[in-house]
Amino acid sequence: MSAAVRQWRGFAAATRLGWEISSNWTRPLMFVIYSVLRPLSAAFILVVIYRFISGGTAGTSAYLAFLVTGVAFWSFVQYGLAGLSNGMVEDRGEYKMLKYVYTSPAHFYVYLLGRGLAQLGSAVASTFIVLVVATVALRLPIDPLRVNYPLLLVASFVALLAVIGIAMAYGLVLLQARDAHGYGELGAEVLYVISGAIFPISVLPGVLATIASLSPLVYWMELIRRSLLGSQAIRMFPALSDADVLLRLLVTTAATLILAHLVFGWADRTARRKGLIDMETNW
Amino acid sequence: MSHPSALRIFLKTVVARAYPRFVSSYRNKTWIITETLLPLIGTIAIIYVYKALHAPSRYLGFVVLGGVLLAFWQNVIWAMATNFFWDRAAGNLEVFAMAPTSMAAILVGMALGGAYVSGTRAAFILIVTSILFGVTYTAAGILPAVGVFLLTLAALYCLGMMLASLFLFYSREAWHLADAMQEPIYFLSGFYFPVRSLGAFLAGAGSLIPLTLGLDAMRQFVLPGTPAFIPAAWEVLALVGQTLLYGVLSQVALRYLEQRARHDARLMLRSS
Repeated sequence: MSAAVRQWRGFAAATRLGWEISSNWTRPLMFVIYSVLRPLSAAFILVVIYRFISGGTAGTSAYLAFLVTGVAFWSFVQYGLAGLSNGMVEDRGEYKMLKYVYTSPAHFYVYLLGRGLAQLGSAVASTFIVLVVATVALRLPIDPLRVNYPLLLVASFVALLAVIGIAMAYGLVLLQARDAHGYGELGAEVLYVISGAIFPISVLPGVLATIASLSPLVYWMELIRRSLLGSQAIRMFPALSDADVLLRLLVTTAATLILAHLVFGWADRTARRKGLIDMETNW
Repeated sequence: MSHPSALRIFLKTVVARAYPRFVSSYRNKTWIITETLLPLIGTIAIIYVYKALHAPSRYLGFVVLGGVLLAFWQNVIWAMATNFFWDRAAGNLEVFAMAPTSMAAILVGMALGGAYVSGTRAAFILIVTSILFGVTYTAAGILPAVGVFLLTLAALYCLGMMLASLFLFYSREAWHLADAMQEPIYFLSGFYFPVRSLGAFLAGAGSLIPLTLGLDAMRQFVLPGTPAFIPAAWEVLALVGQTLLYGVLSQVALRYLEQRARHDARLMLRSS
């Protein structure tokens, strides 16, 4: 069997396994309902806050669209980062299979990509349903015929590489701890604050705003809104063109991937040296 | 040899079950971080939404109080409602069932320990966010608000005891159900906004959860000018009623579902 086929089979198995574990072998329809309830409710919390403060005045749909698009696409980070990094900890502690993954013919990166892809499947469903429901219910200015799909797809693809890179490195770092339960969600929550998902990063204090501007997720959020809402999008970077924002997304993603690779390598070496791959964690 | 009285066994069980939770409040440092930072960061994120919308600073108090009670709700879901589910997966539930004590005592112990742990986390969130964002409260309203808060906890943990029994009947889906009881409940209970904004129907439905009425009453006491859902006195009365109702229902549900679980051999079902 060629090396490519071996890697592909490992990738496919990891994707299937990732789906089964993340859905916890529940019925697909129930899983989708549960998965959609959370982001949909999160979006409506922000809608009510906005209506409460603005008093329901006319011409508020642009800001509502800012909030809803951020929450809808945040599912990718939630599932990608929290799901994948938690998955690595669970593979070791709960299922006690991380050592077998390490010793299998598929490269560890390939396995993690497969696990990550399964998480993204849930995220796509969640994002789509939240966008459709919110657009119809709130009459958001999103016209499917006018969406800049190439920009949306390119930006999302690049950003997701960054998310998976961060998740892989973060997940491996979490192996250093005996009990890292909940740390995946914690990582996603920190990024939530500094990614411009539900408010412009200009609201943050100086240092945090500077850190936020180094994150690829901020530029991804900006491009999502520009591609979905066009001229009606509230812009975090009004001085930058679409191409400029895309360039920043590419540069920050490249930097993130390099950093993630270095952290991954360090965490991997440390985990092997300290015998953390098959550590008993009393899950 | 004289046997200890039923009351003594009950109280000893309560203490024994609460003890690990008291100890875990400072021993398990990784949990301290997640239990404190998760609601704290979520609260800060919503505060920034209010700031981005140029909301008056007095509105930030809504969010802070919501964040404080959020720590308790997470505890009720993850450490009360789902606890028998985890206990079953770990093999503890069958031991509980064989022990010469009552499940009710175990649940009360879990509730007391859980309330203490969440209380320490909630105090941290209250202090940090109030200082960071300059939130002030009406001094005269603090004492009645503390009273409402304690009443809310009583009703909330009675609800948690009831959910613990119901969760015994979920297998793998319990995990997703618990997940789904987060943001939807934050929405219905008005954690981050006055629940009155939801309208009478939705806010009325949300009032089945004690946090909704407790939070609304506390806001009325310490944050004057809060749009009230119903007068605070009515909310206090409703909370007393909910405490009694959920307390009784939790015992009925526990007795019934424990029998069903024994009959269906669910006490030993591994389903994590």
